[in-house]
Amino acid sequence: MLRSVTMTAKHGLITDSFKVVKKAKRGARKAKRPPSPPPTQQEAGAETPQEKELRTLRNFDLDWRFGPCIGISRLQRWERAKLHGLNPPEEIRELLLLQTHTDPKYNLSLWRDYPL
Amino acid sequence: MFSDLSAQKEGSSLLCRPSEDQGPVFERISLAYSPCSERFTVGERSFSRQYAHIYAARLMQMRPLLSERAQQKWGSDVLIRKLCDLQTGEQCCIVGTLFKRMDLQPSILKEISEDHNLLPQPARVKYISDMDELVLEDELQRIKLEGKIDRDKFVTGSVIAIYGAEKNDGKFTVEDFCMADLPPQSPRPTLTSDRFVLLVSGLGLGSTHADSMLGLQLLVDMVTGQLGDQGEQRCAATISRVLLAGNLLSQNTQDADASTKPKYLTKKTQAGSVEAIRLLDEILLQLVASVPVDVMPGQYDPTNFTLPQQSLHRCMFPLSSVYPTLQLVTNPHQCHIDGVRFLGTSGQNICDIQRYSSMDDHLEILEETLRLRHLAPTAPDTLGCYPFYQKDPFILEECPHVYFSGTAPTFQSKLVKGPDGQECLLVTIPDFNSTQTACLVNLRTLTCEPISFSAFSADEDEDSEMNVSH
Repeated sequence: MLRSVTMTAKHGLITDSFKVVKKAKRGARKAKRPPSPPPTQQEAGAETPQEKELRTLRNFDLDWRFGPCIGISRLQRWERAKLHGLNPPEEIRELLLLQTHTDPKYNLSLWRDYPL
Repeated sequence: MFSDLSAQKEGSSLLCRPSEDQGPVFERISLAYSPCSERFTVGERSFSRQYAHIYAARLMQMRPLLSERAQQKWGSDVLIRKLCDLQTGEQCCIVGTLFKRMDLQPSILKEISEDHNLLPQPARVKYISDMDELVLEDELQRIKLEGKIDRDKFVTGSVIAIYGAEKNDGKFTVEDFCMADLPPQSPRPTLTSDRFVLLVSGLGLGSTHADSMLGLQLLVDMVTGQLGDQGEQRCAATISRVLLAGNLLSQNTQDADASTKPKYLTKKTQAGSVEAIRLLDEILLQLVASVPVDVMPGQYDPTNFTLPQQSLHRCMFPLSSVYPTLQLVTNPHQCHIDGVRFLGTSGQNICDIQRYSSMDDHLEILEETLRLRHLAPTAPDTLGCYPFYQKDPFILEECPHVYFSGTAPTFQSKLVKGPDGQECLLVTIPDFNSTQTACLVNLRTLTCEPISFSAFSADEDEDSEMNVSH
Protein backbone atom coordinates (compact mmCIF):
# COMPACT_ATOMS: atom_id res chain seq x y z
CA MET A 1 0.00 0.00 0.00
CA LEU A 2 1.39 3.35 -0.99
CA ARG A 3 1.27 6.03 1.57
CA SER A 4 0.99 9.46 0.11
CA VAL A 5 2.48 12.47 1.80
CA THR A 6 -0.27 15.01 1.21
CA MET A 7 -3.50 15.46 3.12
CA THR A 8 -3.76 11.95 4.33
CA ALA A 9 -0.40 12.11 6.05
CA LYS A 10 -1.57 14.92 8.26
CA HIS A 11 -4.85 13.42 9.37
CA GLY A 12 -3.99 9.83 9.03
CA LEU A 13 -6.37 7.20 7.81
CA ILE A 14 -8.35 4.77 9.87
CA THR A 15 -6.61 2.00 8.02
CA ASP A 16 -3.30 3.13 9.47
CA SER A 17 -4.27 1.92 12.87
CA PHE A 18 -6.67 -0.80 11.78
CA LYS A 19 -5.48 -2.87 8.88
CA VAL A 20 -8.00 -3.76 6.21
CA VAL A 21 -9.14 -7.28 6.75
CA LYS A 22 -11.40 -8.93 4.23
CA LYS A 23 -13.96 -11.19 5.71
CA ALA A 24 -13.30 -14.75 4.70
CA LYS A 25 -16.34 -16.55 3.43
CA ARG A 26 -17.29 -19.33 5.68
CA GLY A 27 -18.95 -22.59 4.79
CA ALA A 28 -18.47 -25.50 2.48
CA ARG A 29 -17.04 -23.46 -0.38
CA LYS A 30 -13.82 -22.79 1.37
CA ALA A 31 -12.99 -26.41 1.89
CA LYS A 32 -13.40 -27.19 -1.76
CA ARG A 33 -11.04 -24.52 -2.94
CA PRO A 34 -7.57 -25.64 -3.96
CA PRO A 35 -4.81 -24.71 -1.56
CA SER A 36 -3.85 -21.15 -2.23
CA PRO A 37 -0.21 -20.16 -2.58
CA PRO A 38 1.60 -18.54 0.32
CA PRO A 39 0.77 -14.84 0.45
CA THR A 40 3.37 -12.67 -1.12
CA GLN A 41 4.67 -10.07 1.23
CA GLN A 42 3.68 -6.58 0.34
CA GLU A 43 6.24 -3.97 0.90
CA ALA A 44 5.57 -0.37 1.38
CA GLY A 45 7.52 2.19 -0.51
CA ALA A 46 8.55 2.53 -4.10
CA GLU A 47 9.12 -0.33 -6.49
CA THR A 48 12.56 -1.86 -6.39
CA PRO A 49 14.20 -2.82 -9.71
CA GLN A 50 13.56 -6.42 -8.85
CA GLU A 51 9.87 -5.78 -8.42
CA LYS A 52 9.75 -3.98 -11.70
CA GLU A 53 11.33 -6.93 -13.46
CA LEU A 54 8.92 -9.31 -11.87
CA ARG A 55 6.02 -7.13 -12.89
CA THR A 56 7.22 -7.15 -16.51
CA LEU A 57 7.44 -10.92 -16.36
CA ARG A 58 3.98 -11.19 -14.83
CA ASN A 59 2.60 -9.05 -17.61
CA PHE A 60 4.22 -11.39 -20.08
CA ASP A 61 2.46 -14.31 -18.37
CA LEU A 62 -0.86 -12.58 -18.67
CA ASP A 63 -0.49 -11.82 -22.37
CA TRP A 64 -2.91 -14.28 -23.94
CA ARG A 65 -1.36 -14.04 -27.39
CA PHE A 66 1.52 -16.26 -26.36
CA GLY A 67 -0.65 -19.14 -25.23
CA PRO A 68 -1.15 -20.84 -21.87
CA CYS A 69 1.58 -20.40 -19.28
CA ILE A 70 0.80 -23.06 -16.69
CA GLY A 71 3.13 -26.05 -16.57
CA ILE A 72 5.97 -24.66 -18.68
CA SER A 73 8.75 -22.26 -17.83
CA ARG A 74 8.70 -18.66 -18.97
CA LEU A 75 11.61 -19.23 -21.29
CA GLN A 76 9.90 -22.22 -22.90
CA ARG A 77 6.82 -20.11 -23.45
CA TRP A 78 8.88 -17.30 -24.91
CA GLU A 79 10.63 -19.69 -27.26
CA ARG A 80 7.36 -21.20 -28.41
CA ALA A 81 6.02 -17.74 -29.22
CA LYS A 82 9.22 -16.95 -31.10
CA LEU A 83 9.01 -20.24 -33.03
CA HIS A 84 5.52 -19.43 -34.26
CA GLY A 85 6.41 -15.91 -35.26
CA LEU A 86 4.43 -14.07 -32.59
CA ASN A 87 7.25 -11.61 -31.84
CA PRO A 88 7.47 -11.88 -28.06
CA PRO A 89 9.30 -8.92 -26.49
CA GLU A 90 13.05 -9.39 -26.60
CA GLU A 91 13.52 -7.80 -23.18
CA ILE A 92 11.72 -10.72 -21.55
CA ARG A 93 14.25 -13.16 -22.90
CA GLU A 94 17.15 -10.98 -21.81
CA LEU A 95 15.64 -10.69 -18.38
CA LEU A 96 15.21 -14.45 -18.13
CA LEU A 97 18.68 -15.25 -19.37
CA LEU A 98 20.31 -12.71 -17.07
CA GLN A 99 18.83 -14.24 -13.98
CA THR A 100 20.27 -17.23 -12.28
CA HIS A 101 18.41 -20.29 -13.46
CA THR A 102 17.43 -21.40 -10.01
CA ASP A 103 15.03 -18.75 -8.82
CA PRO A 104 11.52 -19.99 -9.56
CA LYS A 105 10.21 -16.44 -9.16
CA TYR A 106 11.86 -15.66 -12.45
CA ASN A 107 11.87 -18.97 -14.27
CA LEU A 108 8.32 -20.08 -13.68
CA SER A 109 5.01 -18.46 -14.39
CA LEU A 110 2.76 -16.54 -12.10
CA TRP A 111 0.74 -19.65 -11.20
CA ARG A 112 3.76 -21.76 -10.24
CA ASP A 113 2.51 -22.46 -6.72
CA TYR A 114 -0.87 -23.76 -7.76
CA PRO A 115 -1.26 -27.46 -8.20
CA LEU A 116 -1.96 -28.56 -11.74
CA MET B 1 2.57 -53.79 -62.10
CA PHE B 2 4.03 -56.51 -59.99
CA SER B 3 1.51 -59.10 -61.14
CA ASP B 4 2.36 -58.44 -64.79
CA LEU B 5 6.06 -58.63 -64.16
CA SER B 6 5.90 -61.92 -62.36
CA ALA B 7 3.66 -63.39 -65.06
CA GLN B 8 6.26 -62.86 -67.77
CA LYS B 9 7.88 -66.18 -68.02
CA GLU B 10 10.08 -67.60 -70.68
CA GLY B 11 9.40 -71.27 -70.09
CA SER B 12 8.74 -72.20 -66.50
CA SER B 13 11.83 -73.08 -64.60
CA LEU B 14 9.84 -75.23 -62.21
CA LEU B 15 8.96 -78.12 -64.46
CA CYS B 16 12.42 -79.13 -65.55
CA ARG B 17 15.15 -81.39 -64.35
CA PRO B 18 17.32 -79.98 -61.64
CA SER B 19 20.36 -78.63 -63.34
CA GLU B 20 23.88 -79.16 -62.16
CA ASP B 21 24.81 -75.54 -61.93
CA GLN B 22 23.30 -73.16 -59.43
CA GLY B 23 20.37 -71.14 -60.71
CA PRO B 24 20.77 -67.47 -61.37
CA VAL B 25 21.18 -65.18 -58.41
CA PHE B 26 18.96 -62.13 -58.29
CA GLU B 27 20.45 -59.18 -56.46
CA ARG B 28 17.89 -57.33 -54.44
CA ILE B 29 17.68 -53.68 -55.31
CA SER B 30 18.87 -51.66 -52.36
CA LEU B 31 17.62 -48.13 -52.19
CA ALA B 32 18.72 -45.01 -50.44
CA TYR B 33 16.80 -44.83 -47.21
CA SER B 34 16.67 -42.08 -44.67
CA PRO B 35 14.29 -42.14 -41.73
CA CYS B 36 12.96 -38.73 -40.76
CA SER B 37 10.78 -39.48 -37.79
CA GLU B 38 12.76 -37.37 -35.32
CA ARG B 39 9.74 -35.27 -34.58
CA PHE B 40 7.87 -38.34 -33.43
CA THR B 41 10.47 -39.38 -30.89
CA VAL B 42 9.79 -38.09 -27.43
CA GLY B 43 12.94 -37.37 -25.46
CA GLU B 44 12.02 -36.13 -22.02
CA ARG B 45 8.71 -37.52 -20.87
CA SER B 46 6.94 -35.09 -18.65
CA PHE B 47 3.26 -35.59 -18.07
CA SER B 48 2.91 -32.64 -15.71
CA ARG B 49 1.50 -30.39 -18.38
CA GLN B 50 -2.02 -29.73 -19.47
CA TYR B 51 -3.24 -30.35 -22.97
CA ALA B 52 -4.09 -26.67 -23.46
CA HIS B 53 -0.58 -26.23 -24.85
CA ILE B 54 -1.00 -28.61 -27.74
CA TYR B 55 -4.20 -26.88 -28.85
CA ALA B 56 -2.54 -23.47 -28.47
CA ALA B 57 0.51 -24.59 -30.45
CA ARG B 58 -1.71 -26.14 -33.10
CA LEU B 59 -3.66 -22.94 -33.58
CA MET B 60 -0.48 -20.83 -33.60
CA GLN B 61 1.00 -23.05 -36.28
CA MET B 62 -2.12 -23.32 -38.43
CA ARG B 63 -3.37 -19.73 -38.25
CA PRO B 64 -0.96 -18.24 -40.82
CA LEU B 65 -1.57 -21.15 -43.21
CA LEU B 66 -5.33 -20.85 -42.96
CA SER B 67 -5.33 -17.05 -43.23
CA GLU B 68 -3.44 -17.45 -46.48
CA ARG B 69 -5.89 -20.06 -47.76
CA ALA B 70 -8.83 -17.87 -46.76
CA GLN B 71 -7.40 -14.98 -48.72
CA GLN B 72 -6.92 -17.21 -51.73
CA LYS B 73 -10.48 -18.43 -51.53
CA TRP B 74 -12.45 -15.33 -50.57
CA GLY B 75 -10.23 -12.61 -51.98
CA SER B 76 -7.25 -10.86 -50.46
CA ASP B 77 -9.44 -8.18 -48.88
CA VAL B 78 -11.45 -10.65 -46.81
CA LEU B 79 -11.91 -9.53 -43.23
CA ILE B 80 -10.20 -11.97 -40.88
CA ARG B 81 -11.44 -11.43 -37.34
CA LYS B 82 -10.69 -12.81 -33.93
CA LEU B 83 -13.80 -13.86 -32.04
CA CYS B 84 -13.37 -11.05 -29.53
CA ASP B 85 -13.61 -8.41 -32.27
CA LEU B 86 -16.63 -10.03 -33.88
CA GLN B 87 -19.58 -7.73 -34.62
CA THR B 88 -23.08 -8.95 -35.13
CA GLY B 89 -24.13 -9.13 -38.75
CA GLU B 90 -20.68 -8.44 -40.17
CA GLN B 91 -19.47 -10.75 -42.93
CA CYS B 92 -16.06 -12.01 -41.95
CA CYS B 93 -13.72 -14.95 -41.75
CA ILE B 94 -12.61 -16.64 -38.54
CA VAL B 95 -9.78 -19.10 -38.01
CA GLY B 96 -10.23 -21.44 -35.10
CA THR B 97 -10.25 -24.94 -33.67
CA LEU B 98 -13.42 -26.96 -33.95
CA PHE B 99 -14.99 -28.57 -30.95
CA LYS B 100 -17.90 -30.96 -31.27
CA ARG B 101 -20.03 -31.24 -28.18
CA MET B 102 -21.32 -34.78 -28.17
CA ASP B 103 -23.84 -36.24 -25.76
CA LEU B 104 -22.75 -39.78 -26.42
CA GLN B 105 -19.04 -39.20 -25.98
CA PRO B 106 -17.87 -41.40 -23.13
CA SER B 107 -16.80 -39.37 -20.15
CA ILE B 108 -15.18 -40.72 -17.06
CA LEU B 109 -16.63 -37.87 -15.04
CA LYS B 110 -20.14 -38.78 -16.11
CA GLU B 111 -19.60 -42.39 -15.17
CA ILE B 112 -18.28 -41.80 -11.69
CA SER B 113 -20.61 -38.97 -10.81
CA GLU B 114 -22.66 -39.90 -7.78
CA ASP B 115 -25.70 -37.93 -8.82
CA HIS B 116 -26.38 -40.04 -11.82
CA ASN B 117 -25.30 -43.42 -10.58
CA LEU B 118 -25.38 -44.62 -14.15
CA LEU B 119 -24.14 -47.86 -15.51
CA PRO B 120 -21.10 -47.48 -17.71
CA GLN B 121 -22.11 -46.82 -21.28
CA PRO B 122 -21.88 -49.74 -23.63
CA ALA B 123 -19.16 -49.37 -26.21
CA ARG B 124 -20.61 -48.03 -29.43
CA VAL B 125 -19.48 -48.14 -33.01
CA LYS B 126 -20.20 -44.44 -33.40
CA TYR B 127 -20.69 -41.68 -30.88
CA ILE B 128 -22.41 -39.11 -33.07
CA SER B 129 -26.03 -38.14 -32.45
CA ASP B 130 -28.57 -35.56 -33.59
CA MET B 131 -27.94 -33.49 -30.49
CA ASP B 132 -24.32 -32.76 -31.36
CA GLU B 133 -23.24 -29.16 -31.60
CA LEU B 134 -20.31 -27.73 -33.47
CA VAL B 135 -18.38 -24.95 -31.77
CA LEU B 136 -15.44 -22.91 -33.03
CA GLU B 137 -12.81 -21.78 -30.56
CA ASP B 138 -9.97 -19.34 -30.87
CA GLU B 139 -7.50 -18.24 -28.21
CA LEU B 140 -10.11 -16.49 -26.09
CA GLN B 141 -13.64 -17.38 -26.99
CA ARG B 142 -15.95 -19.84 -28.62
CA ILE B 143 -19.04 -19.57 -30.77
CA LYS B 144 -21.69 -22.04 -31.86
CA LEU B 145 -21.82 -22.79 -35.55
CA GLU B 146 -24.74 -23.42 -37.84
CA GLY B 147 -25.41 -23.15 -41.54
CA LYS B 148 -23.46 -24.71 -44.36
CA ILE B 149 -21.13 -26.92 -42.43
CA ASP B 150 -21.52 -30.66 -42.09
CA ARG B 151 -21.72 -31.10 -38.36
CA ASP B 152 -21.35 -34.87 -38.34
CA LYS B 153 -18.39 -34.98 -40.67
CA PHE B 154 -16.09 -32.74 -38.69
CA VAL B 155 -14.25 -33.80 -35.57
CA THR B 156 -12.95 -32.02 -32.51
CA GLY B 157 -9.49 -30.56 -32.89
CA SER B 158 -9.54 -29.69 -36.58
CA VAL B 159 -8.35 -26.19 -37.36
CA ILE B 160 -10.37 -24.57 -40.16
CA ALA B 161 -11.36 -21.14 -41.44
CA ILE B 162 -15.06 -20.28 -41.70
CA TYR B 163 -16.78 -17.48 -43.56
CA GLY B 164 -20.12 -16.00 -42.58
CA ALA B 165 -21.72 -13.71 -40.04
CA GLU B 166 -22.86 -13.74 -36.46
CA LYS B 167 -26.61 -13.58 -36.02
CA ASN B 168 -28.55 -11.87 -33.28
CA ASP B 169 -28.95 -15.06 -31.28
CA GLY B 170 -25.18 -15.29 -30.85
CA LYS B 171 -24.68 -18.15 -33.25
CA PHE B 172 -22.46 -17.92 -36.28
CA THR B 173 -24.03 -18.75 -39.62
CA VAL B 174 -21.44 -20.40 -41.79
CA GLU B 175 -21.66 -19.71 -45.50
CA ASP B 176 -18.45 -21.40 -46.49
CA PHE B 177 -15.37 -22.90 -44.91
CA CYS B 178 -11.90 -23.87 -45.99
CA MET B 179 -9.23 -26.26 -44.80
CA ALA B 180 -5.47 -25.95 -44.91
CA ASP B 181 -5.31 -28.43 -47.80
CA LEU B 182 -2.19 -30.24 -48.96
CA PRO B 183 1.15 -28.89 -47.75
CA PRO B 184 3.91 -28.12 -50.25
CA GLN B 185 5.70 -31.10 -51.74
CA SER B 186 9.24 -31.65 -52.88
CA PRO B 187 9.46 -33.14 -56.37
CA ARG B 188 9.62 -36.90 -56.77
CA PRO B 189 12.67 -38.27 -58.57
CA THR B 190 12.06 -40.01 -61.88
CA LEU B 191 13.03 -43.63 -61.58
CA THR B 192 14.08 -45.81 -64.46
CA SER B 193 12.97 -49.20 -63.23
CA ASP B 194 10.15 -50.64 -61.19
CA ARG B 195 10.88 -51.03 -57.51
CA PHE B 196 8.44 -51.91 -54.83
CA VAL B 197 7.81 -51.35 -51.18
CA LEU B 198 5.63 -53.92 -49.46
CA LEU B 199 3.19 -52.59 -46.87
CA VAL B 200 1.72 -55.03 -44.36
CA SER B 201 -0.38 -54.33 -41.31
CA GLY B 202 -2.02 -56.35 -38.58
CA LEU B 203 -0.09 -59.61 -38.55
CA GLY B 204 -2.10 -60.46 -35.45
CA LEU B 205 0.35 -62.95 -33.98
CA GLY B 206 -0.80 -64.77 -30.90
CA SER B 207 -4.46 -64.71 -31.80
CA THR B 208 -6.58 -67.64 -30.71
CA HIS B 209 -7.23 -68.76 -34.26
CA ALA B 210 -4.04 -68.68 -36.22
CA ASP B 211 -5.67 -68.46 -39.66
CA SER B 212 -3.08 -66.14 -41.00
CA MET B 213 -0.05 -68.30 -40.28
CA LEU B 214 -0.05 -70.05 -43.64
CA GLY B 215 -0.67 -66.80 -45.45
CA LEU B 216 2.03 -65.09 -43.45
CA GLN B 217 4.56 -67.80 -44.23
CA LEU B 218 3.67 -67.57 -47.91
CA LEU B 219 4.19 -63.82 -47.73
CA VAL B 220 7.60 -64.23 -46.12
CA ASP B 221 8.60 -66.88 -48.67
CA MET B 222 7.44 -64.71 -51.54
CA VAL B 223 9.46 -61.73 -50.35
CA THR B 224 12.58 -63.76 -49.64
CA GLY B 225 12.38 -65.40 -53.05
CA GLN B 226 11.65 -68.95 -51.96
CA LEU B 227 8.42 -69.15 -53.87
CA GLY B 228 7.65 -69.69 -57.53
CA ASP B 229 9.90 -69.95 -60.49
CA GLN B 230 12.70 -67.72 -61.68
CA GLY B 231 10.33 -65.07 -63.03
CA GLU B 232 8.70 -64.68 -59.67
CA GLN B 233 12.01 -64.72 -57.89
CA ARG B 234 13.28 -61.96 -60.15
CA CYS B 235 10.24 -59.93 -59.18
CA ALA B 236 10.74 -60.61 -55.51
CA ALA B 237 14.16 -59.04 -55.87
CA THR B 238 12.52 -55.76 -56.87
CA ILE B 239 10.82 -55.53 -53.48
CA SER B 240 13.32 -53.23 -51.87
CA ARG B 241 11.77 -52.77 -48.46
CA VAL B 242 9.05 -54.17 -46.22
CA LEU B 243 7.09 -51.87 -43.93
CA LEU B 244 5.10 -53.48 -41.13
CA ALA B 245 2.48 -50.96 -40.09
CA GLY B 246 1.47 -51.93 -36.61
CA ASN B 247 -0.62 -54.48 -34.76
CA LEU B 248 2.00 -57.15 -35.13
CA LEU B 249 0.48 -58.82 -32.11
CA SER B 250 -3.16 -59.70 -31.76
CA GLN B 251 -5.50 -58.06 -29.32
CA ASN B 252 -5.75 -61.41 -27.58
CA THR B 253 -2.22 -61.06 -26.27
CA GLN B 254 -3.40 -58.22 -24.09
CA ASP B 255 -4.69 -60.06 -21.11
CA ALA B 256 -7.57 -58.10 -19.68
CA ASP B 257 -7.44 -60.03 -16.41
CA ALA B 258 -3.81 -59.26 -15.75
CA SER B 259 -4.51 -55.75 -14.55
CA THR B 260 -7.49 -56.67 -12.37
CA LYS B 261 -6.28 -59.92 -10.84
CA PRO B 262 -4.22 -59.71 -7.70
CA LYS B 263 -0.48 -60.09 -8.15
CA TYR B 264 -0.15 -63.33 -6.21
CA LEU B 265 -2.46 -65.08 -8.65
CA THR B 266 -0.67 -63.94 -11.78
CA LYS B 267 2.86 -64.26 -10.47
CA LYS B 268 3.72 -67.44 -12.27
CA THR B 269 1.68 -66.91 -15.42
CA GLN B 270 3.45 -65.65 -18.48
CA ALA B 271 2.15 -62.64 -20.33
CA GLY B 272 0.37 -63.62 -23.53
CA SER B 273 2.60 -61.40 -25.56
CA VAL B 274 5.84 -63.24 -24.71
CA GLU B 275 5.15 -66.17 -27.00
CA ALA B 276 3.84 -63.89 -29.74
CA ILE B 277 6.93 -61.69 -29.63
CA ARG B 278 9.12 -64.77 -29.94
CA LEU B 279 7.14 -65.80 -33.00
CA LEU B 280 7.49 -62.31 -34.40
CA ASP B 281 11.22 -62.44 -33.84
CA GLU B 282 11.44 -65.64 -35.86
CA ILE B 283 9.40 -64.20 -38.71
CA LEU B 284 11.44 -61.02 -38.70
CA LEU B 285 14.62 -63.08 -38.76
CA GLN B 286 13.54 -64.69 -42.03
CA LEU B 287 12.72 -61.31 -43.50
CA VAL B 288 15.66 -59.19 -42.33
CA ALA B 289 18.16 -61.77 -43.56
CA SER B 290 17.02 -60.87 -47.04
CA VAL B 291 15.34 -57.48 -47.12
CA PRO B 292 15.33 -54.28 -45.02
CA VAL B 293 12.28 -54.11 -42.75
CA ASP B 294 10.68 -51.17 -40.95
CA VAL B 295 8.67 -52.21 -37.91
CA MET B 296 6.08 -49.78 -36.60
CA PRO B 297 4.20 -50.50 -33.39
CA GLY B 298 0.42 -50.44 -33.31
CA GLN B 299 -2.43 -50.32 -30.87
CA TYR B 300 -1.86 -53.76 -29.35
CA ASP B 301 1.92 -53.86 -29.46
CA PRO B 302 4.10 -53.75 -26.34
CA THR B 303 5.12 -50.10 -26.32
CA ASN B 304 3.57 -46.92 -24.98
CA PHE B 305 -0.11 -46.35 -25.72
CA THR B 306 -0.13 -42.63 -26.40
CA LEU B 307 0.73 -41.27 -29.81
CA PRO B 308 3.43 -40.92 -30.98
CA GLN B 309 4.19 -44.52 -30.09
CA GLN B 310 7.88 -45.06 -29.57
CA SER B 311 9.67 -47.85 -31.36
CA LEU B 312 9.63 -51.37 -29.96
CA HIS B 313 12.70 -52.16 -27.92
CA ARG B 314 15.51 -54.12 -29.54
CA CYS B 315 15.85 -56.44 -26.60
CA MET B 316 12.57 -58.07 -27.57
CA PHE B 317 14.14 -59.38 -30.77
CA PRO B 318 17.32 -61.21 -29.81
CA LEU B 319 17.50 -63.07 -33.14
CA SER B 320 16.65 -60.41 -35.67
CA SER B 321 18.02 -57.31 -33.98
CA VAL B 322 21.59 -58.28 -34.85
CA TYR B 323 20.83 -57.49 -38.48
CA PRO B 324 21.30 -53.86 -39.48
CA THR B 325 18.38 -54.26 -41.88
CA LEU B 326 15.90 -54.29 -39.00
CA GLN B 327 14.61 -50.78 -38.37
CA LEU B 328 12.43 -50.37 -35.32
CA VAL B 329 10.59 -47.13 -35.91
CA THR B 330 7.93 -44.95 -34.34
CA ASN B 331 4.24 -44.73 -35.09
CA PRO B 332 3.58 -42.38 -36.95
CA HIS B 333 6.51 -43.10 -39.22
CA GLN B 334 8.08 -40.92 -41.86
CA CYS B 335 10.94 -41.80 -44.19
CA HIS B 336 12.44 -41.26 -47.60
CA ILE B 337 12.82 -44.37 -49.71
CA ASP B 338 14.80 -43.60 -52.85
CA GLY B 339 13.60 -40.01 -52.67
CA VAL B 340 9.95 -40.98 -52.27
CA ARG B 341 8.51 -39.65 -49.04
CA PHE B 342 6.45 -42.08 -46.99
CA LEU B 343 4.30 -41.04 -44.07
CA GLY B 344 1.73 -43.03 -42.19
CA THR B 345 0.35 -44.47 -39.03
CA SER B 346 -0.82 -47.84 -37.80
CA GLY B 347 -4.41 -46.67 -38.07
CA GLN B 348 -5.43 -45.51 -34.59
CA ASN B 349 -6.03 -41.96 -35.80
CA ILE B 350 -8.31 -43.12 -38.62
CA CYS B 351 -10.28 -45.55 -36.43
CA ASP B 352 -10.82 -42.81 -33.86
CA ILE B 353 -12.18 -40.35 -36.42
CA GLN B 354 -14.43 -43.11 -37.70
CA ARG B 355 -15.99 -43.40 -34.25
CA TYR B 356 -16.55 -39.68 -33.83
CA SER B 357 -17.72 -38.63 -37.28
CA SER B 358 -20.18 -39.74 -39.92
CA MET B 359 -17.40 -40.87 -42.23
CA ASP B 360 -16.99 -44.63 -42.45
CA ASP B 361 -14.58 -45.23 -45.24
CA HIS B 362 -10.94 -45.36 -44.14
CA LEU B 363 -9.74 -43.93 -47.43
CA GLU B 364 -12.11 -40.99 -47.17
CA ILE B 365 -10.95 -40.26 -43.62
CA LEU B 366 -7.33 -40.56 -44.67
CA GLU B 367 -7.90 -37.99 -47.40
CA GLU B 368 -9.73 -35.74 -44.96
CA THR B 369 -6.76 -35.73 -42.57
CA LEU B 370 -4.49 -34.82 -45.47
CA ARG B 371 -6.79 -31.93 -46.41
CA LEU B 372 -6.91 -30.81 -42.79
CA ARG B 373 -3.13 -31.05 -42.84
CA HIS B 374 -3.23 -32.89 -39.55
CA LEU B 375 -2.43 -36.54 -38.86
CA ALA B 376 -4.56 -36.93 -35.76
CA PRO B 377 -6.97 -34.07 -35.10
CA THR B 378 -8.85 -35.98 -32.42
CA ALA B 379 -5.72 -36.26 -30.29
CA PRO B 380 -5.70 -35.41 -27.40
CA ASP B 381 -9.51 -35.31 -27.09
CA THR B 382 -10.41 -38.92 -27.73
CA LEU B 383 -7.06 -40.33 -28.80
CA GLY B 384 -4.15 -40.74 -26.40
CA CYS B 385 -1.39 -38.25 -27.05
CA TYR B 386 1.77 -37.01 -25.38
CA PRO B 387 1.32 -33.48 -23.93
CA PHE B 388 3.47 -31.53 -26.35
CA TYR B 389 3.83 -27.81 -25.72
CA GLN B 390 6.34 -26.38 -28.17
CA LYS B 391 4.78 -27.53 -31.40
CA ASP B 392 2.27 -30.05 -32.64
CA PRO B 393 4.25 -32.77 -34.47
CA PHE B 394 1.14 -34.15 -36.15
CA ILE B 395 0.76 -31.14 -38.42
CA LEU B 396 2.01 -32.06 -41.89
CA GLU B 397 4.70 -29.64 -42.91
CA GLU B 398 5.62 -31.37 -46.13
CA CYS B 399 3.32 -33.40 -48.32
CA PRO B 400 4.28 -37.08 -48.46
CA HIS B 401 4.23 -38.98 -51.74
CA VAL B 402 2.77 -42.05 -50.10
CA TYR B 403 0.40 -41.54 -47.19
CA PHE B 404 -0.77 -44.74 -45.54
CA SER B 405 -2.70 -46.02 -42.56
CA GLY B 406 -2.77 -49.53 -41.20
CA THR B 407 -5.43 -51.85 -39.76
CA ALA B 408 -8.05 -51.00 -42.36
CA PRO B 409 -10.91 -53.42 -43.08
CA THR B 410 -10.13 -53.53 -46.81
CA PHE B 411 -7.43 -52.49 -49.23
CA GLN B 412 -8.06 -49.19 -50.95
CA SER B 413 -5.84 -46.74 -52.71
CA LYS B 414 -6.24 -43.47 -54.51
CA LEU B 415 -4.05 -40.79 -56.03
CA VAL B 416 -5.02 -37.32 -54.84
CA LYS B 417 -3.85 -34.13 -56.44
CA GLY B 418 -3.31 -30.91 -54.54
CA PRO B 419 -3.95 -27.34 -55.64
CA ASP B 420 -0.25 -26.74 -56.30
CA GLY B 421 0.31 -29.87 -58.33
CA GLN B 422 1.10 -32.13 -55.38
CA GLU B 423 0.56 -35.82 -55.99
CA CYS B 424 -0.03 -38.13 -53.10
CA LEU B 425 -0.87 -41.80 -53.09
CA LEU B 426 -3.26 -42.73 -50.30
CA VAL B 427 -3.16 -46.35 -49.18
CA THR B 428 -5.22 -48.09 -46.53
CA ILE B 429 -3.34 -51.23 -45.62
CA PRO B 430 -5.76 -54.05 -44.78
CA ASP B 431 -5.52 -56.06 -41.62
CA PHE B 432 -3.45 -59.08 -42.69
CA ASN B 433 -4.89 -61.39 -40.09
CA SER B 434 -8.43 -61.09 -41.42
CA THR B 435 -7.86 -60.36 -45.11
CA GLN B 436 -4.54 -62.13 -45.82
CA THR B 437 -3.74 -59.18 -48.02
CA ALA B 438 -0.72 -56.91 -48.22
CA CYS B 439 -0.01 -54.13 -50.68
CA LEU B 440 2.84 -53.30 -52.99
CA VAL B 441 3.67 -49.70 -53.84
CA ASN B 442 5.51 -49.13 -57.07
CA LEU B 443 7.90 -46.24 -56.49
CA ARG B 444 8.31 -45.50 -60.18
CA THR B 445 4.67 -45.11 -61.14
CA LEU B 446 3.34 -44.30 -57.66
CA THR B 447 0.66 -46.96 -57.91
CA CYS B 448 -0.39 -49.61 -55.47
CA GLU B 449 -1.80 -53.08 -55.85
CA PRO B 450 -2.95 -55.64 -53.32
CA ILE B 451 -1.30 -59.02 -53.02
CA SER B 452 -3.35 -61.73 -51.41
CA PHE B 453 -2.26 -64.99 -49.81
CA SER B 454 -5.60 -66.38 -48.94
CA ALA B 455 -5.42 -70.14 -48.87
CA PHE B 456 -8.85 -71.30 -47.84
CA SER B 457 -10.92 -68.18 -48.01
CA ALA B 458 -14.04 -69.95 -49.28
CA ASP B 459 -14.41 -72.46 -46.50
CA GLU B 460 -14.15 -71.42 -42.91
CA ASP B 461 -14.07 -74.96 -41.56
CA GLU B 462 -10.85 -75.84 -43.27
CA ASP B 463 -9.31 -72.78 -41.73
CA SER B 464 -10.05 -73.94 -38.26
CA GLU B 465 -8.62 -77.34 -39.03
CA MET B 466 -5.38 -75.64 -39.93
CA ASN B 467 -5.07 -74.39 -36.38
CA VAL B 468 -4.19 -77.80 -35.09
CA SER B 469 -0.84 -77.81 -36.75
CA HIS B 470 0.18 -74.51 -35.20
